[in-house]
Amino acid sequence: MTRHSLLLTAVATVTVPGLLAVFGVIGHDQGAGQGDITAALDSAALSGPFPVAPATARAAVRNNVAAVQRASGAPLTILSRVTASQQATGLQLLDKAADAGLAVTYQGTEVSSQSGVDGSVTTISQVWHEGEGATLVRTSSAAMSATTADAATTATSAAAADAASGSPEGVFGVTKSLVALLGQHYVAVYRDSGTVAGRAAAVVELYRFDGSLAAQYWLDRQTLVPLRRELFDTSDNLISNDSFVRVQFGAQAGAQAAGAAVPSTSAQSTWVTAVSPARFLASLTGQGWPVPGTLPGGLPLHAAAWTQTANGKVAELEYSDGLYVVSLFVQQGTLAARLPGWQQVRVAGQQAFVSGQSVSWSGGGLVYTMIADVPPQTVRQVVGALPGSGPPGLLGRLERGFGRMARLVNPFS
Amino acid sequence: MSHLGDLLSGLVDGELSGAELDRANAHLASCGVCRTEANALRRLKHELHELAGACDADEITRRLLAMAGPDGRDRRYDHAVLVPDRDQGREHGEHHRGRRVIWGTVSLVVVGIGAAAFGMGGGGSTGPQITPQVEVFDVQHAITSGDVPYTDPADRFARVPAVATTP
Repeated sequence: MTRHSLLLTAVATVTVPGLLAVFGVIGHDQGAGQGDITAALDSAALSGPFPVAPATARAAVRNNVAAVQRASGAPLTILSRVTASQQATGLQLLDKAADAGLAVTYQGTEVSSQSGVDGSVTTISQVWHEGEGATLVRTSSAAMSATTADAATTATSAAAADAASGSPEGVFGVTKSLVALLGQHYVAVYRDSGTVAGRAAAVVELYRFDGSLAAQYWLDRQTLVPLRRELFDTSDNLISNDSFVRVQFGAQAGAQAAGAAVPSTSAQSTWVTAVSPARFLASLTGQGWPVPGTLPGGLPLHAAAWTQTANGKVAELEYSDGLYVVSLFVQQGTLAARLPGWQQVRVAGQQAFVSGQSVSWSGGGLVYTMIADVPPQTVRQVVGALPGSGPPGLLGRLERGFGRMARLVNPFS
Repeated sequence: MSHLGDLLSGLVDGELSGAELDRANAHLASCGVCRTEANALRRLKHELHELAGACDADEITRRLLAMAGPDGRDRRYDHAVLVPDRDQGREHGEHHRGRRVIWGTVSLVVVGIGAAAFGMGGGGSTGPQITPQVEVFDVQHAITSGDVPYTDPADRFARVPAVATTP
């Protein structure tokens, strides 16, 4: 009898929170994202997670164990007090947040602070978003001066154009495609409740397979729109903090969004998205562009696109594990001798120019411009892993020369 | 009736003796065919002897010995020993010169291609001078990463200081 009671208790402990969470998600679906999911989230709250493996164990070993468990469909044992259904709840919340970021009408002020290789960068932006429509973004610093108005216009028009073309977009990096990647590299867990800009929020935490905290998301309890995001590096340092300091939802926000001027999109470049990023990468390497399939920090190639400019073709390679995103822009040529507004620094031994989150350098007849939402050490690793401005050496020079000769004589290249 | 066959050449060369010589002479007396052939052989031998007189007998001997070779190896098909020393040296030199020409040509081609590759492998300065269109890149990055875009580089230096946010 006691045995049966224990069994029933264990089953109830596992299933009830999961069912409540599922009901909460279903209720959210039926309520078009406006339903209150507080009850379900409160029931699913945890006091974990705790890493199973000792801290001295190598992360690669733990990650391999996790990959095997995931492939076999078994619950991950990396976080001992987190069940598979609770992990699924965390990911479902983020997935719904990605949908809400597109479907819900909102207007607010965002403050973003990020650590770059030349220090911390902070921007303040006004954001208008009409449900299933365009997102308009205007930096407040740009609004202060006439000289930067064009920059604000550029950003705003691009966001509007994106909405029209159906490209992925979201709030604080919570997009459908990136959330799908998150599930492959992190464990998402609903943890706690909080408040952002005077609104009640559910907190979802992301853990690496070694048990370290990678990110925290605050999702609006009523709409699930992301209100705040914090990113941490592997040493638990806060490297990025994006948050609404003021936000409105619903009809009032919609009226303000409708009143915001939508600028012309004529000045924008047209980017062609590669259907197969891997094939696009192979074509680039075939042309002698030495671009990798995976960047340091375990960031695989996630998406690719290209555009044609007055200076030739520009390829964009986006690497991401769902949380950290690196956009690498590659084009033929050399950096101009003077780049007004950029700071000349040495990054990983390379001569580079840095401006905010952008790092640009040239090497091997190519110009690389990287915009990265990653820890500064990852930026240095990426710059060090790609060809730089230094002399290539005898073998490197011969290799490059033979490659160019082969392309000259190859009629199919 | 059988003829003398191989004995005929021995008879002409004076190599037969005794009963063999008697029997050959007896046959020649009664066989016109062998007699005619013997006369023809003698004429030929005489003519060869006259021709051989024009050459140095020692030289011929030396060359014949050389054909056999000191190690007993049959060198009859070695072209070098069948020609006079002067021609042999010239052909030997031409042979080596040919090899040198081939090797020299191959080396020149390899060095030339290597130099061309070295030249083409340098010059990273080829191509246009690029000023990164960071405002365009920022927007593209914002679209794909789901973040708000940054502003242009000039604006970044005028950014407002960090603002404390409300959790």
